[in-house]
Amino acid sequence: MISVKKVDNRPLNFLERIYLPEIVRGLLVTSRHFFVNLFNPKGMPTVQYPEQKLPLPHAAKERTRHRLKLRADGTPKCVACFMCQTACPAYCIRIEAAEYPDNPVEKSPAVFDIDLSRCVMCGMCVEACPEDAIAMDTLEIPGGALSRAQLKLTKEDLLMTLPGDPSDKGAANRLANEHMKSRGEA
Amino acid sequence: MMELLEANKDMLLFTGAAVLKIGVFLNAIMGFAGLLTLAERKVSALMQDRIGPNRASVFGFAFNGLFHPAADGIKMILKEDFVPGRADKLLFTLAPFFALVPVLALFAVIPFGDYVMVFGYQLDLVIAEIPLSLFLVLALSGIAIYGVFLGGWASRSNFALLGALRGAAQMVSYEVVLGLTLVGLLMIFGTASLQDLVRAQGRLLFGWLPAWGVVVQPFAFILFFVAAIAENKRTPFDLVEGESEIIGYFMEYSSMRFAAFMFSEFVEIILVSMLSATLFFGGWQVPYLYESGFILPGGAQFPLNHYLIAALQTGAFAAKTVAFSWLLLVIRWSLPRFRFDQLMGLCWKRLLPLALLNILLTGAVLLFLGKI
Repeated sequence: MISVKKVDNRPLNFLERIYLPEIVRGLLVTSRHFFVNLFNPKGMPTVQYPEQKLPLPHAAKERTRHRLKLRADGTPKCVACFMCQTACPAYCIRIEAAEYPDNPVEKSPAVFDIDLSRCVMCGMCVEACPEDAIAMDTLEIPGGALSRAQLKLTKEDLLMTLPGDPSDKGAANRLANEHMKSRGEA
Repeated sequence: MMELLEANKDMLLFTGAAVLKIGVFLNAIMGFAGLLTLAERKVSALMQDRIGPNRASVFGFAFNGLFHPAADGIKMILKEDFVPGRADKLLFTLAPFFALVPVLALFAVIPFGDYVMVFGYQLDLVIAEIPLSLFLVLALSGIAIYGVFLGGWASRSNFALLGALRGAAQMVSYEVVLGLTLVGLLMIFGTASLQDLVRAQGRLLFGWLPAWGVVVQPFAFILFFVAAIAENKRTPFDLVEGESEIIGYFMEYSSMRFAAFMFSEFVEIILVSMLSATLFFGGWQVPYLYESGFILPGGAQFPLNHYLIAALQTGAFAAKTVAFSWLLLVIRWSLPRFRFDQLMGLCWKRLLPLALLNILLTGAVLLFLGKI
């Protein structure tokens, strides 16, 4: 269905055509805003951003700075499968894989760099990760920097555990976690 | 030596007083113009529910943005002073002066108070008391067009030249209206000296209404104010420069040369405010305040000290100036811009006939009242 809105384009009457009363009406609107805000600056919606932050609405929390989750034993959950690097539309992730000396099954990232100056905060890496190892829930919003180097996140910057993180306990990967959760063991 | 001083005492006192008045008045205007650059941003911010600039700080004290004019000035001085290779160097350098100097010179004839008695001498509170100062105002504001046109012409840039053409056409057109709207005042008050105009506005009509210009010529005030905003090249008539979209006559200018053009616009805001206050809102007049003190219409008298009266009158003039400057800022941030043909149409097809009609009606009323 196409909805049609009928506009009543009646010709302007004399008072509207000389504009002055309409200009005065417009000035009253703007000067009302001026005086209300002058005497009640707290009523303005603007916040002093870097010092003062508004709580992020629900979905926006999942599009903040990246982090790499840790297992209970302190090793990164990431297995260096390159899924996120492949999925990334901005080519901002760089991974170099390494092997554990005692673990013949999994790899681990030796290098995990994210170039925030190229990142478009799309969250594709989070979607692509089969291990639930990368997340964008730190609530930090990447801001300005004085050099490009400051915008490059290395593995050390990324590895962190947030309080209340379910990855603190449990098995190595997501499927195992869900399996244990369904049995009521985690 | 002493004899020489004694012989030329009046001359020396006159010179000293003039230098003092110029120093105080001009510095007040420059300071106010600097503050206006901040006020423009703060007022627009508050009108749009924003906070406005508040980050420039000295030793961590920001005073809600008070240092921004200083920061802007320092930034302007430190920027590269670039002159295009094909520009006419002399005219390119002269243009900012032509924009700024006539506007500043105009303040010489604006009365900011009646007079004060200092050591038995009468000190007029106007820098230069000229019998035909109203015409000097019109003449000098005509010279300001040279700043606009030379700026566009000397940069040898086609865009700047187009901006200059628009600017010159607009300013020349509105100059005519600006002059014609004031004829009614000249007919009523019979003087072209701004100081005498203000003194004449201290009279009362019907025993209680101050004979301010806006009371006797309300229609002329609206026309004058519209033409003055257009002459000042501010929104809604700012298509000379059109900061946001179109390119203006000072396109090739940078650094302090650009700042001179920008600053002259803010000084012109003060000038237009002061002229509106002087011509139509009684200048330094406070209603019912005379040389001896307040005399209310009922006959009640409140004698006041001479210096207190002078301070009150100068304060009233300052308050009127600030109020008009605020109004100009609010108008600039409320109204959209005209199209160029609408701008010219408004001037030649609407304002000019209305100004002529105003002269005719004023003359008819004066004739009817038997004042001519």
